Amino acid sequence: MKLNRRIIAVMTVVLALFLILVVYLTHFIIFKAPEIIKSSYNPRVWEKETDVLRGEIYDRTGTVLAKSEQTGNSQTRIYPYGKLYAHTIGYNSRNYGKTNIELEYNNYLLDTKEKISIFKNDKEGFQNGANLTLTLDNSMTELAANALGNDNGSVVVINPKTGEVYCLYSNPSFDPNESALIKNWDSLTERTDSPFFFRATQGQYAPGSTFKVITATAAIEKGYEDFMTDDKGITNVGGKYFKNAGEKPMGEIGMKTAIAKSSNVYFTELSQKIGNRSLGSAASKFYITKKVPFDISTKATGLDFGECDSAQLASVAIGQGKLAVSPFNMAVATCAIANDGVIMKPYMVEEVFYDNGGVIYTADREALSSATDKRTANLIKEYMVECVKSGTGTAARVSGIDVAGKTGTAENEREGKTHAWFIGFAPADNPQVVVCVMKEYSGKGGGSVCAPIAGKIFNYALKKGLITK
Amino acid sequence: MQKVFHNIKPLLLLLLLNALGMLLVISNGELAAERIGILCGVVCIISLVTYVVITVRDLGDSYLFIIISMLCSLGIIMQTRINPDNGIRQMVLYLAGVICFFGTLFMYRKFHKRLNRYTLIYWGVSIALFVITALIGTVHNGSKNWIMIGSLSIQPSEFIRILFVLAMAAIFTNARKSSSRVIKTSIAKQEAKKLKHTRLAVAVLMAFSNAMCLFMQREWGIALLFFAIYISYVYIYGDSKVFLGANLLLVILAAYVGVKYMSHIQVRVEAWMDPFADISGKGYQIAQSLFAIGEGGFAGRGIGTGSPYFIPVVSSDFIFSAICEEMGVLGGVAVIMLYFLLVYRGFKIALSCTNAFNKAVAVGMSVMLGVQTFIIVGGVIKLIPLTGITLPFISYGGSSMLTTFIVMGILQAISSVKGEVTDEIE
Repeated sequence: MKLNRRIIAVMTVVLALFLILVVYLTHFIIFKAPEIIKSSYNPRVWEKETDVLRGEIYDRTGTVLAKSEQTGNSQTRIYPYGKLYAHTIGYNSRNYGKTNIELEYNNYLLDTKEKISIFKNDKEGFQNGANLTLTLDNSMTELAANALGNDNGSVVVINPKTGEVYCLYSNPSFDPNESALIKNWDSLTERTDSPFFFRATQGQYAPGSTFKVITATAAIEKGYEDFMTDDKGITNVGGKYFKNAGEKPMGEIGMKTAIAKSSNVYFTELSQKIGNRSLGSAASKFYITKKVPFDISTKATGLDFGECDSAQLASVAIGQGKLAVSPFNMAVATCAIANDGVIMKPYMVEEVFYDNGGVIYTADREALSSATDKRTANLIKEYMVECVKSGTGTAARVSGIDVAGKTGTAENEREGKTHAWFIGFAPADNPQVVVCVMKEYSGKGGGSVCAPIAGKIFNYALKKGLITK
Repeated sequence: MQKVFHNIKPLLLLLLLNALGMLLVISNGELAAERIGILCGVVCIISLVTYVVITVRDLGDSYLFIIISMLCSLGIIMQTRINPDNGIRQMVLYLAGVICFFGTLFMYRKFHKRLNRYTLIYWGVSIALFVITALIGTVHNGSKNWIMIGSLSIQPSEFIRILFVLAMAAIFTNARKSSSRVIKTSIAKQEAKKLKHTRLAVAVLMAFSNAMCLFMQREWGIALLFFAIYISYVYIYGDSKVFLGANLLLVILAAYVGVKYMSHIQVRVEAWMDPFADISGKGYQIAQSLFAIGEGGFAGRGIGTGSPYFIPVVSSDFIFSAICEEMGVLGGVAVIMLYFLLVYRGFKIALSCTNAFNKAVAVGMSVMLGVQTFIIVGGVIKLIPLTGITLPFISYGGSSMLTTFIVMGILQAISSVKGEVTDEIE
């Protein structure tokens, strides 16, 4: 019957509406809700803080980096080290919300051991939330902050064998204590040097010559290990001129010298042999073009290698042009060279535990990417050792151990205000600490301003036993 | 008696739902246990009695009332949990609703053969109600759509929905009848055609005049509902693709003008596109709703342990968000599936009905129930822009509760008279 057929059609449409509801609701709860409920406008985020005392946060040695104090019916969050962890631990402020670890681990910090899932909890008074142990090292972070002084820049230190992040700091920073936030908020938000901006993970800078490490890896993998060129100090690639620092000619050189002395001529010419697809795939395996999964938010470069012409490719090969990378990403990439080609997933939260024992979360140590093979990694390592021994990175030398490193001095949109870089690790024969130091718009060479900071960190790590011979 | 035990399983499920739900409300609230016991008991006893009456006296579909009682139980549990006094009132409304249900059931059975003659009366009463609301109505949530009689507040648009379906069903079936009669002379044929066209023109006029009134009262949700019902009728009974296309075009045009020029609709569309852009203003309601649903996760926070107080208008428009927070998305989906079953039963009644007018009424009521649920649930989960409309049987509110029970009474009546062939049908 025609009428019934049409009624069935209408019925199908109406019932399909219900299925759409179910599908959308499921989609919402799986993909959207986890982000949405973290909003500080969600009153439930604060609800628990009326009866749960927020857990404490410790560094790897047990130093308290964040704690809560009860005052009557409310609680205050205290950060004893002020600006040192404003970008990593973040802040927990009734007025300005939650950020970083305070946000991402909010549920843990407010998790009490009492597990009554469906019945209301009528207990009086505050209960203690779970505590976090971080992989960060407080003394090392202090050292890094002091070494940077008043200069804007970042220091990232990672254990390449495990992925533990020892230090993650960037200048300028700010005091995350509630009272300081209230006092300084207006000036903090208006300052042109953006103290809220976490340069270490979010900043995007031309990596300069430090990127040559990745270019060299791509070349070796493609069989250009023995590529030689006559370096006259200047060359023309794809219609564009590329010069060495000071237009200094280096003569007939191979890869080892090219890395140690940081030849732009060598790598721009080499880039044409590698091609943009191979360089792009190497960059992807080193997580330069991919977002690194981490406890706090990270940012990958927006560059599409596939769209580079030969001149652009040559620029990118020496870490210039449209390439922009965060210091954290460069440190993660360096881990691959230090760890036989394998990048371990970096992490900052080691453990979550209750006051009276009982661990509820332990970080997994897992491989993130196999960036290159062991032989290639060790070749590059050898060249980087040479760079610190006799090349541009001598300031990073530490007595008693071999240090591998690569300096970078990157031109950018500000004339004469180059970014200074140093990436490196130690000891070369058994790397346990990877360091990436970066100073923005310093106008000086990475070898002179960044390598010494890396040297201090290696020395400290050796003294504290983070490096064992 | 054999018949009574045939479908007893859904009834047991209903008992279980009430027992567990109330247990949780008692354990997490401050309510006197005996009060809860009474609420729980009354729903179950009424459902049982109704079920027995319907099966024994052969009053048609035996599932409808069980599904309704399930939804009402959830409604009473949630209302009690949010505000114990509202729980009691919701229970009283449920009782009143049951009376309306049976009243409508018997009245409709008795008079259904004549009901298709009063098209103009339905329309007239609708317009009159609109006018009265406009004159003596009170403003509620930005819409002037309530009439206060003493301490009693009535939302006339809820009742107009029923009149609208009856009017549309009558006029469309009559229009169709006039063209399908066996006609001998060409003059008579032409006249019949003319009559059909006149009737269809009246239908268009009625639908759009009603929608116009709703627009003026800012009842976007119900206006949308009217359009859905109207277009369904045009599709089923219009017999003309051109007519359907023209009507669709008109509806789309009306919607476009609304979105483009009515600031109230614009605000809702903006809040829908990105509620977090203006979270303390326009987007506040929907953002709070999403927080609640999101915090509930799949399993929910448990009845009595959530925080429905943070959700605005939680007892009526946003009750679904509270259900999702405390019973989880799984609970929410279960509620959606209950409506799914209810609407499906409604259409099934329409399909097996042999009386043309009754068939049309059953279709209209089913579309109404289905689309209404979609509009409000879709609104609070941010699938579509939010329009204030109640969730049938669960939202707190007398007008909504009673009209929905009347709708169900009509469906029940139609299902019980389906055996009687009373009218010719194609």
